[in-house]
Amino acid sequence: MRALITGMGGELGTRVANLLEADERFTEIVGIDGYPPRRRTTRAEFHRIDPRDRRKAVLLVRDFDPEVILHLGVYEPNARFEPTEARLGTAASAVSVLGAAASCPSLRGIVVRSGIEVYGRRRGAPSRPDEDARIDPTTPFGRSLAHVEQVAVEAGQVAGVPVTGLRCGPIVGPSFPSPLGRFLRLPLVATPPPLAELPFCLLHQEDAAHAIVAAAGALHDGPLNVVGPGAITASQAIRRGGRIPVPVVGPGWLLAAATAELLGAPLPEHTRELLVRGGVADGAEARRVLGIEPRATDDVVAQLYEWASVAHLTPSSKGAAA
Amino acid sequence: MNVDAIRRGIPGAQALALLQRRARGEFDIDEWGLDPDLVALADPIFAARWDIEVSSAEQLPAVGGAVLVCNRRFGISEPWVLARGVRQATGRFVRTVGVPDVAPVGPFVRRFGGVLDRTDEIAGLLRAGQLVGLPTSRSLRSRVDAGTLEVARLEAALATGAPVVPVALVGRETGRAWRIAIGEPVAIPAAGGPLAAAELAETTRHAVQTLLDDALPASWWL
Repeated sequence: MRALITGMGGELGTRVANLLEADERFTEIVGIDGYPPRRRTTRAEFHRIDPRDRRKAVLLVRDFDPEVILHLGVYEPNARFEPTEARLGTAASAVSVLGAAASCPSLRGIVVRSGIEVYGRRRGAPSRPDEDARIDPTTPFGRSLAHVEQVAVEAGQVAGVPVTGLRCGPIVGPSFPSPLGRFLRLPLVATPPPLAELPFCLLHQEDAAHAIVAAAGALHDGPLNVVGPGAITASQAIRRGGRIPVPVVGPGWLLAAATAELLGAPLPEHTRELLVRGGVADGAEARRVLGIEPRATDDVVAQLYEWASVAHLTPSSKGAAA
Repeated sequence: MNVDAIRRGIPGAQALALLQRRARGEFDIDEWGLDPDLVALADPIFAARWDIEVSSAEQLPAVGGAVLVCNRRFGISEPWVLARGVRQATGRFVRTVGVPDVAPVGPFVRRFGGVLDRTDEIAGLLRAGQLVGLPTSRSLRSRVDAGTLEVARLEAALATGAPVVPVALVGRETGRAWRIAIGEPVAIPAAGGPLAAAELAETTRHAVQTLLDDALPASWWL
């Protein structure tokens, strides 16, 4: 099977490429992104193309004629790009790649990385939506993801192929660039007042990668919530990480966001919404369809705060020291 | 050190250990916001406020989801009484429907088992094997009236096939003593459709009324 990965330069894209390389079902793997992969790849062929360069992207997709497209070119605000750049890159990547894919004769399926942010957290919204819940995004990132899903569904309809929208929980991990992960690792962390916060769930970066690869094999038609079982509140996570929670209400969040940005951990709107209004989804259908068992949210938090110990190497010879 | 204190039976050692766990964030909270440790911490307060007697608790399923349809007068004590009574009798938590989605009240009440009044929310809880407390409408004038039950509120039970159990709550806001009478599960109509939902709502409401009539003494002037 010929697989095309968009967003291969990201942590998730590179890991998915590595997993596909180890799977014999995928005979040819091509990846595109504006930045090179984060790790060495063996079989996958990488093309450095800016997501906004529609002409190059369309040419590559049509020439390669993929059988399955793994669209991971979804950029979370403040993960690697500032919010406007992330929004524009996400939209451009979806339109050019998925638009071109619709006219590929060999296409058999499309897998899109989306997020549970598409459900939104408007007042009265379901606390733990399943895939049948109406999407009603309330943040720019949620709207961006909803747009990607819509483009993918339209492309799938034109091509007559199934589209799997993987609505992932907030993806974090020890080496994953995530605004939530950075924020939670600050020494002092703003949180809603105790007992006035709602729980959220998380997804480990490795589980997200495995879910994407499983979806490429299953080619399910429709959205799937991919989340770690269980939930945790912001102050709980902060305490487990040995950080100090600072209760914040109302306009205090503006000050907290500005301070966090100065400390190198900007707080985008969807992350703030997650901390205040929670964010959980029912992931039973994805576990059934994809046969995955993501690690529990508790374990994801524990790994978020784990730091590998530094081994100081002593030079064994004068040559090595030089 | 705390474990030793608990073993030696030092008063308050268990509560202290629980508080220390909370300070470290080492407690569980479920996806709808229930905090079992906090419920355990607040239990002495509930015990001081309400003295609850539960009859026919064996009617409740030991595992799996069920909808407990109960009456309410003012609706202040009833959700707490139902949750504590069932927990005392069966060890299971009840998720009472009707929490406002406004901070800080909403998140706080959710810690004790409250959930939003939405069909999809109730269906999700039932699929997860939870007991859901569904109050009928308020009957402010009389405590012998079971209130009314909207047809749409039992849609989740019909969709998931969860048993519907009528429950009568008897007590006064001004008193400590409350009684919970649990009835036999109501048979779910085999045929689906709007008529089945209407019949189920009517049968359930009638069952709650019968339990109330049996539990309350007749008025002296009748």
